[in-house]
Amino acid sequence: MFKKTFIRMSGLGGQGVVTAAHILGAAATREGLDSTVNPFFGAEKRLAPAESYVRISSERIFERGEVLDPNIIMIYHPHVITLGKCYTMPFFDGLQPEGLLIINSEKPLELGDEELARLADLKARIFYVPASQIAVEVAGTELSTNLAMLGGLLGVTDLVSMESIKESMAERFGGGKFVASGTTAALDDVLKSKFAKLSQLIEKNVEVIEKSRSSVQEYLIN
Amino acid sequence: MNKSLFKISPGFEDIMPAEYRELVEHGPYEKGFGVSDLGTFKELIEEHPLCAGCGLALSLRMILASLPKPEDTIIVGSTGCSSIAFPQVALHNIHSLFGNQNALASGLKRALKLRFPDKIKDVVVIAGDGATADIGLDMVMQSWFRRENITTIMLDNEAYANTGGQESGMSPQGTILNMAPTGKKFPKISLPEIAREAGCAYAAAVSPAHPKRLEKAVRRAILLAREIGPTYIQVFSPCPTNYKFKPHETIARIKQREKDGTFSIKEYISPEAQEWLAQIEEVKK
Amino acid sequence: MIDQRVVTPEYLFFEAPREKRFMTGSEAVREAIKRANVDMAISYPITPQSESMHLVGDLYAEGYLREYFRGENEFAVMSAVAGASMGGVRVFTATGGPGTLRAFEAFPTWAGARLPIVCAFMTRGVNSPLSIQPDTIEMAFMLNTGIMMFHAETAQDLYDMILKAFVIAEKTDVHIPVGVFTDGFFVTHTRDTVEIAAEDIKLPPYNPYCAPVPVMDMENVPVRQMRDPFVMKSNFISYATHASWQQEIMAAAERARNYVVKYLGGLVEVENEDADILIVASGTAVSQSREAIGMARREGLDAGLIKIKCLRPFPGEEIRKLTRNATAVIVPEFNRVGWLCQEIKSVMEDTGKVIGGPRVFGGMTMPPDLILAEIRRCSR
Repeated sequence: MFKKTFIRMSGLGGQGVVTAAHILGAAATREGLDSTVNPFFGAEKRLAPAESYVRISSERIFERGEVLDPNIIMIYHPHVITLGKCYTMPFFDGLQPEGLLIINSEKPLELGDEELARLADLKARIFYVPASQIAVEVAGTELSTNLAMLGGLLGVTDLVSMESIKESMAERFGGGKFVASGTTAALDDVLKSKFAKLSQLIEKNVEVIEKSRSSVQEYLIN
Repeated sequence: MNKSLFKISPGFEDIMPAEYRELVEHGPYEKGFGVSDLGTFKELIEEHPLCAGCGLALSLRMILASLPKPEDTIIVGSTGCSSIAFPQVALHNIHSLFGNQNALASGLKRALKLRFPDKIKDVVVIAGDGATADIGLDMVMQSWFRRENITTIMLDNEAYANTGGQESGMSPQGTILNMAPTGKKFPKISLPEIAREAGCAYAAAVSPAHPKRLEKAVRRAILLAREIGPTYIQVFSPCPTNYKFKPHETIARIKQREKDGTFSIKEYISPEAQEWLAQIEEVKK
Repeated sequence: MIDQRVVTPEYLFFEAPREKRFMTGSEAVREAIKRANVDMAISYPITPQSESMHLVGDLYAEGYLREYFRGENEFAVMSAVAGASMGGVRVFTATGGPGTLRAFEAFPTWAGARLPIVCAFMTRGVNSPLSIQPDTIEMAFMLNTGIMMFHAETAQDLYDMILKAFVIAEKTDVHIPVGVFTDGFFVTHTRDTVEIAAEDIKLPPYNPYCAPVPVMDMENVPVRQMRDPFVMKSNFISYATHASWQQEIMAAAERARNYVVKYLGGLVEVENEDADILIVASGTAVSQSREAIGMARREGLDAGLIKIKCLRPFPGEEIRKLTRNATAVIVPEFNRVGWLCQEIKSVMEDTGKVIGGPRVFGGMTMPPDLILAEIRRCSR
């Protein structure tokens, strides 16, 4: 789709944007692609704006830091848009022509006419996925929202395979070879406690991903 | 340290400095000397560049003579008058910086524990009142909180003497010194009591006016630091230069302060340390 | 903890098979320390460094290190590692930004005391208002402390440089501290592919008796150092001692050049050195430059790259020679003051062709387009 795919994930602290980016980047490297992943460089606070960035390419990636010119923007919470809980204004700042927007919401958000016009100029495509709803319904916890968002991504691109995501998830939650920063580690324990066993955790989340993958709806800009 | 390490190779005796030869022949290593032996052996400190009548120099001589195991004692000092004397002390001694002596000693002691798990290595901090109670107080207290196995000895001359006689936290209230031109506004810091509360197994205030008490405190402090936890001794060491009294009046000055009730010998021993000391006394009997 | 066997540094660095792993810079620190046979580490939290020392703490819990604790502030930590090093063990710590400045007084004394401490510096802003964002300004302050300075571009560099730093620092004819610097977040928090050796091998242990100064353990003769202490300004010997000792520290760093060449493959790394336009950079600015050079090539523009890996000692001769025929030398930096630009100008004959920028500071990444714009401008 894109020679280099640069993804910006915008959400709220605690929603797991960093973890989702990690799983996605790791999945890409499993498929022989080059990837770098980094979080937004801020203090870790629940419900404060949080961003992470994934770069995926078949060629070597050198540059690092925040993605200023994303091909794909994933919005993990409507508040990123509606309350401006976002590090960029507007939330799609820097979006590349024909870029994709994947938004976690059960129904389309009311975007301003000016914003829609700019997105139309960019030939951007907007997708909605009820990620939090699916997370609660299928996994019984909103903490799986981040994985539901990855499902949304798989629904609209073929960047990585489900199998790679699954393997990366197992490594992330079970391997002990990953490092979560202090706050993220505390959330992990919460997440683990919600599922009796790791395999069950993976299984449930695969279900979450599958469900959201097939629940993505495109919103057509008139 | 094995004493043989220290011996002069045959044939080289004549080129070694006299004070080194004296140390080899009459030094205190592995001898178990104390303050009452002063004058009968070659002291660890060779001369000293401090002022005539310096209380600190006197205290330092007595402390060094009281070390239970000089051959395995490493001294950590800090900036100040005492640091000027350390280079002439025949022990491994470290000048750290100003105030970081207890932090450095913590790292050193732990390193020596790793390298010599079955051997005694006493790490003794000897620093002035400015280094201990002012600029280094956080690191001094944190080493106590962490229960580091080190002994901290403050040479309390109640001023920053090396920099020209400024007020320190240990100066008595009302004293006129540099940087306190109208007199010090707050009382002397109660460091022995702070030490007691901060986790020291042993805390004492002594002076060179009572050498045997000083020796006892140093020995107890170092032995307890090995076995139980951090220990603290504050040695009142008046400064003739900055407190403007005659060099020969140093001891009289201490006694006068005792009489005034502005200096007194103190000793706090934690219950755990008491128990250990009692056992030692028992064994001795 | 798994059983590890001691191997030669050469085997660990150059011959041992390596495995590709996807990890952050902080994790690369853990992997390096795991194989470095470190005796003791002392930690203190500061973003973006904390994670690396959490992980070193985990290594201690697993048994790879013999001692580890959290100090009370960076000055205390740098003092405690000095004490540990004087006591004869191999010691590691890390800090960054305000922590570096808080500890600053300790660094010149590390060098002066000939302590082979390895410290990782994860750089960040030090200004007010408070910033935790990437910025390399603290390196400007560190340039003349007498410690050796490596600058890691990536997590891979960080892994390699930390391991190699111990070996270089502990050479008898060097025996001074090494700071391994890396850009906070851009490396520490960024996941990247890193090639690492198997975890069942490690460096040989440190031998404290290889030091050019006595180890403070009372297991060697405690000579009285002097009749008059050096701090007394009363005699010529004290002046001469201080002057010659400073020169000796500098000389130790000079002697390290050969080891830097041997283990790091040189103080600089060069690509396309015959290009008219050369970019000279260190750290993350190198990565951004690589991207910009790729973009320039696609536009038919040519630019070369000099990556500085070792800042102290400074590769003055290398830079003088390499830049001699260039028409323009672009120096992108992640700081306001342009300390690298000053360093480069100080060794070049024709400083008029040096472009001091782009400079990005305050925490943002450096868009490769900014560097590309300079390449375009210089190509006109």
